[in-house]
Amino acid sequence: MQAPSSNEPGELIAGATSLVAPVAPRRRRGLSGGIEPYLYLLPGFLVFTLFVAIPTVGSIILSLTAWNGVSWDTATFIGLDNYIKAITDHRFQIAFWHNIVLVPYFVLLPLVIGLVPAAVVHQLQLRGARWLQAGLFLPYIMPGVLIGVVWAWILNPIFGPVNKILKQLGFSPPTWLGDFTWALPTVGMIGAWAAYGFCYVIFIAGLQKIPSELYEAARLDGANTWHEFVSVTLPGLRREIAVVLSVNLINALRAFDIIKATTDGGPGDRTQVMALYMINTAFGSRQAGYGTAIAVLLAVITLVGSMLVLRLFGDDDD
Amino acid sequence: MTRRQIGPAIAYIVLILGCVIAIAPFIVTILASLKTSGELVRGIFSLPEDAQWKNYVQAWRDGHFGRFFLNSIIVVVGVVIPSVVMSTMTGYAFARFRFRGAGALFAYFLLGLVIPLQALVVPLYYLLREMHLLDSLWALILPQIAMSMSFGTLLMRQAFLSVPREIMEAATVDGASSWTTLWQVMFPLARPMVGTTALMFFIWTWNEFLLPLVVNIDPKYHTLPVGLLYFQQRWTSNIPVIAAGATIIFLPLVAMFLLFQRQLVEGITQGAVKG
Repeated sequence: MQAPSSNEPGELIAGATSLVAPVAPRRRRGLSGGIEPYLYLLPGFLVFTLFVAIPTVGSIILSLTAWNGVSWDTATFIGLDNYIKAITDHRFQIAFWHNIVLVPYFVLLPLVIGLVPAAVVHQLQLRGARWLQAGLFLPYIMPGVLIGVVWAWILNPIFGPVNKILKQLGFSPPTWLGDFTWALPTVGMIGAWAAYGFCYVIFIAGLQKIPSELYEAARLDGANTWHEFVSVTLPGLRREIAVVLSVNLINALRAFDIIKATTDGGPGDRTQVMALYMINTAFGSRQAGYGTAIAVLLAVITLVGSMLVLRLFGDDDD
Repeated sequence: MTRRQIGPAIAYIVLILGCVIAIAPFIVTILASLKTSGELVRGIFSLPEDAQWKNYVQAWRDGHFGRFFLNSIIVVVGVVIPSVVMSTMTGYAFARFRFRGAGALFAYFLLGLVIPLQALVVPLYYLLREMHLLDSLWALILPQIAMSMSFGTLLMRQAFLSVPREIMEAATVDGASSWTTLWQVMFPLARPMVGTTALMFFIWTWNEFLLPLVVNIDPKYHTLPVGLLYFQQRWTSNIPVIAAGATIIFLPLVAMFLLFQRQLVEGITQGAVKG
């Protein structure tokens, strides 16, 4: 017998249970293997506990202390002071604000750039689009540092190709990543470039699941391409839109690699973001306690943001 | 051209444009890595007159990309293989057995999906310091195995749930132990998912930047992304050599991408749940 070929989580589980149900209706799934399951879990459990769970708890504890990170006996418990300090810290506020400014670039722009072509390919049933999909999502699997280094060269005001071409055309372009006004939007555009292929791939996968009868029905009702898009494609992609929004939002709020490799927060603090400020505070200026409090805030903000998006756009148990 | 053809024609143009914009920076980088600095000034889209392989030699030897590459390979192998084995075991435990605390333990493993590395990197650094593992490849391998467990457990559990239970029961009736059933019957059946999982582990580990940046100061233990960053800061204007270093990082990814495109799309779609 063949295993179901679909790997969608919901379908898989549904498929597995429907396969089981008719054969053994009264039997609950799973064997009770005594100590066996625990032995299978043990290696994974140990390494996960040591290197993920304990440091996570450690973060919460450390965030309540003032500590220079050198020897343990210098740590003192200060309660929520670090959090109060963060909220009133002007540099943290700026960093947070910059993450918010990045949201339209990292979240909305790639969503639109990915959604429209995906819908067009699907609705017009274009052939050969599969082949183009390959190129589209290449940036998404590349390391952020690489993306940063490559774009830093392409946009370099002295020896980068973009400004050379713009100057030949008679423009006087800004220095992009080195410019006080342009640095943040430029970083944002690089982030949008890195993400739109991902959105496209997710949407194309989602569109395959929309029953074609819905399109036929819409066409019988005399719907044009735009009406099909609004009444069939968009509602059908609701779940995918929620996923893309929340993944992109997380990337905007946690942005680090691309910024570290392009501007390192500069010029001045013009591209300073929470993650960068957190690392610089915890390790650079040796305020381990305060840096960790920022890390916890960053994690909480990200979590709340993505839950909010999933709540607003996700399915309400349909 | 009739009206019916204009729509698709525009759509194709837009798609091709999107595709070109996505890959052009990589093409330009490969071209730059084979040119002299002088040639590069004259044009970035032109083919190199005479391929300058010495840029690669320079990056590999003087830029220490040889070492970074080796470190990256060791770390990737050291993370991917144990992660796949261990998530196979945890996924199997959750899919096959009924046991006390299964729900709570599963939720515990999935916590890793919502906790970003940034949230735990500071205590992790001091933990590794206490273990005397800073400035070693262990400092990269062990935490990344741990961070792979959530996604791996989730995917492998799904994979095993999709295997028809008669197959597993048949093996049990034949007297096979659960261990034998796992590796000789279930694991081969779950191979597509194992491939997808391993591929995602590979990409995440190959690309990881924050962890090596923080825990390994000694350049002897740098992996490619951190190596590239410091290299770029030191050699700012020597674009062809930087481009060669960049190419060394992304060519293995492009190769993976071309070989396993289907699994990759699968993994990216699934990986969307990983924060």
